[in-house]
Amino acid sequence: MASIDLKNIAHSYDPTAEDPVFALQPFNLHWEDGGTYALLGPSGCGKSTMLNIMSGLLTPSHGQLLVDNKDVTHLPTTQRNIAQVFQFPVIYQSKTIYENLAFPLRCIKMNKHDIDRRVKEVADLLNLTNILSKSANSVSADTKQLISVGRGLVRENVSAILMDEPLTVIDPQLKFELRRKLKEISARYGHTLIYVTHDQNEAMTLADQVVVMDKGQIMQMGSPEELFENPSHMHVGYFIGSPAMNFMNCRLNEQGIHIDDHFVPMELDGIADSAALNMGVRPEYVSFSDTPVANSVPAEIVEVQNLGKYAIATAKFGNQKVKARLSGKSKLPSGKTNLVLHKEHMRLYVDGHLYSAS
Amino acid sequence: MSIVAENINLTVDGEAYLRNVSFELPNEDFFIIVGRTKAGKTTLLRLLAGLEEIDSGRLTLDGNDLTKMPPWERKVGMVYQQFINYPHLNNFENIAFPLRRAGLPEDKIAEAVNKVASVLGVEEFLEKLPSELSGGQQQRIALARALVKDSKLLILDEPLVNLDYKLREQLREEFKNIFNDQRERLVIYSTTEPAEAMELNGTVIVMHEGEIIQIGAAEEVYNRPANTRVAEVFNDPPMNLVRGVVEGNRIHFNQDVIMALPDHLQTLAAGRYTFGIRAADINLQPNAYASEVQLGEINGSETILHIKLGDISLVTEQEGVHQYDLGASASVDFDLDQLYIFDNNGDLLFSPAANSSVEKAMQDQEKDN
Amino acid sequence: MNSSGYKIFKFVFLAFWASFVVAPFLWALTTSFKTINGVTSGATYIPWVDYEPSLDGWRNVLGSGSQGINVVEPFISSVYVTIGASALSLVLGTFVAYGLSRFKYRAGFIRNGDITFFFISQRIMPPVVLSIPFFLMLQQLGLLDSIFGLILVYIALLMPIAVWVMVDFFNNIPKEIDEMAMLDGCSPLQTFLRVILPNAKPGLVVAGLFCVIFGWNDFFFAFTLTFTETQLLPVAIVSLNSSATPWWSLSASALISIAPLIFVAVLVEKYLDRGNLAGAVK
Repeated sequence: MASIDLKNIAHSYDPTAEDPVFALQPFNLHWEDGGTYALLGPSGCGKSTMLNIMSGLLTPSHGQLLVDNKDVTHLPTTQRNIAQVFQFPVIYQSKTIYENLAFPLRCIKMNKHDIDRRVKEVADLLNLTNILSKSANSVSADTKQLISVGRGLVRENVSAILMDEPLTVIDPQLKFELRRKLKEISARYGHTLIYVTHDQNEAMTLADQVVVMDKGQIMQMGSPEELFENPSHMHVGYFIGSPAMNFMNCRLNEQGIHIDDHFVPMELDGIADSAALNMGVRPEYVSFSDTPVANSVPAEIVEVQNLGKYAIATAKFGNQKVKARLSGKSKLPSGKTNLVLHKEHMRLYVDGHLYSAS
Repeated sequence: MSIVAENINLTVDGEAYLRNVSFELPNEDFFIIVGRTKAGKTTLLRLLAGLEEIDSGRLTLDGNDLTKMPPWERKVGMVYQQFINYPHLNNFENIAFPLRRAGLPEDKIAEAVNKVASVLGVEEFLEKLPSELSGGQQQRIALARALVKDSKLLILDEPLVNLDYKLREQLREEFKNIFNDQRERLVIYSTTEPAEAMELNGTVIVMHEGEIIQIGAAEEVYNRPANTRVAEVFNDPPMNLVRGVVEGNRIHFNQDVIMALPDHLQTLAAGRYTFGIRAADINLQPNAYASEVQLGEINGSETILHIKLGDISLVTEQEGVHQYDLGASASVDFDLDQLYIFDNNGDLLFSPAANSSVEKAMQDQEKDN
Repeated sequence: MNSSGYKIFKFVFLAFWASFVVAPFLWALTTSFKTINGVTSGATYIPWVDYEPSLDGWRNVLGSGSQGINVVEPFISSVYVTIGASALSLVLGTFVAYGLSRFKYRAGFIRNGDITFFFISQRIMPPVVLSIPFFLMLQQLGLLDSIFGLILVYIALLMPIAVWVMVDFFNNIPKEIDEMAMLDGCSPLQTFLRVILPNAKPGLVVAGLFCVIFGWNDFFFAFTLTFTETQLLPVAIVSLNSSATPWWSLSASALISIAPLIFVAVLVEKYLDRGNLAGAVK
């Protein structure tokens, strides 16, 4: 139950080098008390580094970490009241499940009665009550992961729970169960929950705010909706959404944007002549029409994939290839048709960044 | 190319992994095994590769008896979930390994390796060791090695499952081109995701608990699941199944949810059935059936709601973003044009796909009875 | 303050420990350059200051000396026996280890784990238990007092070590690599030779090292199974012991017997340094 601030945090594994390589570029971030956040990005983007800085497994080479406005940058992990759950279940195999859950409490010398109460509370929350006396080694992988999560929750003064891709080992069918439990827990206890993943579905469904990262940089932080509707960077547009956002290279003139032969009138200023321009539009906001309509351009269907509940149609016009995501029940286009690019959902990107009329 | 299995039994460490499995694969060249974890997909693939010993039964490929043939004689290429490469050889040698075993001349080896490396986009890494590459690149090397062989059978056991989400999307695209390289070989790919099966568009083999429960074109299996188990496995989210009753021209899901029998189902006989409806076919409609929201998951462009109607738990998928708190009330309705009907054994009786008719289904059922 | 006090304590402790370890070598080294006067006059360590250095000790053991015996021949015999037995033990042991790691054996209730333990248990037994059986066996074969006979016996003693180290090592190489090799056309033997062995270098080095150390240092069997024709170094050194032990010769021969092992250890450390022993498999 605490807010976390990262002030000017940056991390390089060799900070004294002349031109240090940063695993994490300098940034500021504020995690609100009680919020559920996701750190989303591909392997190697720095999300685990950030998590380890917050939990104390790593001391940042630059910057300050504040928990509830208290500087904890150099405090050891044990004093930060942060619980961390890892990708693979970390449990004491030879002990019973009860003992596993009780362990952190025994370490801080809580009295037996309180330990029992807390363990039973957490076990109840995670539906582990019936198997408390079983050996931790004897249960399935997903139950083991639940025990890991339970161990993170059992301390009463835990201010934040950090989870590093915890659902990786879980059966896809059971992921929903665990996500539901995590949401229940965060709703009931008000913990700040920070979740690291490379799976955008998981990030979007679990978190209130998602931080998209790539190559050590924070690209954007926002609600799933914001990231979907207004990706601030081309990379976010690519990373969020299945299929990724369409990007069409384009040219600028006084009245607007030219995408090959298609013209989109737009009021633009302050764009350098040499800037690389791309027009982005999500496949969900692209449709087809048999006859030309406003904002449409003649195009030819190159491929249609029927995936059951939705379909993906790839259309080509000029040098551009655009994918459209259509409901499975709609009529599937073919051959020559008209591609409708809905203007209100088009986003212009200048050198990779979202252009916003100021 | 045809594969025929007769009464295969396979026990590993006392557990029966495959129980009296018999099948005959149709003469296609791209199969996708879909099933949950522990369904038996990996076991079946290892069986075909020769890595598991069959307790009893017979396996033939194109008429050749494979049952006792050891893996090194079978000419099979395999790609594992965990990227397996020879750690002591560089990438070029890794890909060249099977060709060297086969005794090909040096220039032919170089030609073949370079060709397949360029198809998979790994030419620049050939001098490096596998451990110096990222996960996705290592998997490409493993795939290159499987492709470069002159194998009759190419097996891919959930090859993308250990890769990042976006990388998976990218590789799936590439797979479609890679498998069309005009060689005469049978490709068998396994996955837990039906969407992947549909995207790759092969002949689907649905497995569940060590048994094959349906074989057919992806679209066909999607539109006409043979039974309730297929309906659950081959839909994501799983198809909602409700045990209900048809009585007096109405469908009863429970005492609160009673709907009029739609026109195309008028000839349905009264009785107990299992009704199937996909998450996307349950819609948020005001003034319809009140349900309690147990969990709402927003995906950016879609919302998945887990709801409860009395004692029935359902999953619904909606376009757009809809915020619902836990415990809130949501009003839903069912698109009965998309209703599936299964009989009391779980077998498909009626599917809303084109060319289905209830009369015929009823007649067929009477014949069976 | 805590930290620097701790650092001082660490340094002092380690210095003390180091001197404790090095002292015997230092003693042997200085003694080997003494004469009888130097030895009896008490503990002295600095040549030319405390005592008169002399090469007598060394001359005795390396050439033909009046006090002491020539250790060159026993040295060479030891080399033959150790290298021969270690090499064969390593080869046989590695094959055995691969089999135990990859294949499932069963004889009644005996499984792989039992067989591995059987091998390891050979080293648990006190050697004296085997002395008479080996003696009788070699006698029957006419191999007593011969290098070949010793090599055979040492194989029985060293192979368990090789098996022990290599089984564990092979168990850490994923079976999928074997499977991949078999799918690529290798029979199990080819898989072993072309794929697994190249990846087993670190394990082979460690197993080889252990075999060499235990083989070189063995006294008991060298003693019981040889008389005149063949003599191994440990026995030769011990035979110097008498009522008038020539300590200088003894020290010199002790140092000679340790030298090869130090040499091997330095070589292996270089190999270790190059990171070759880091896990080769992802």
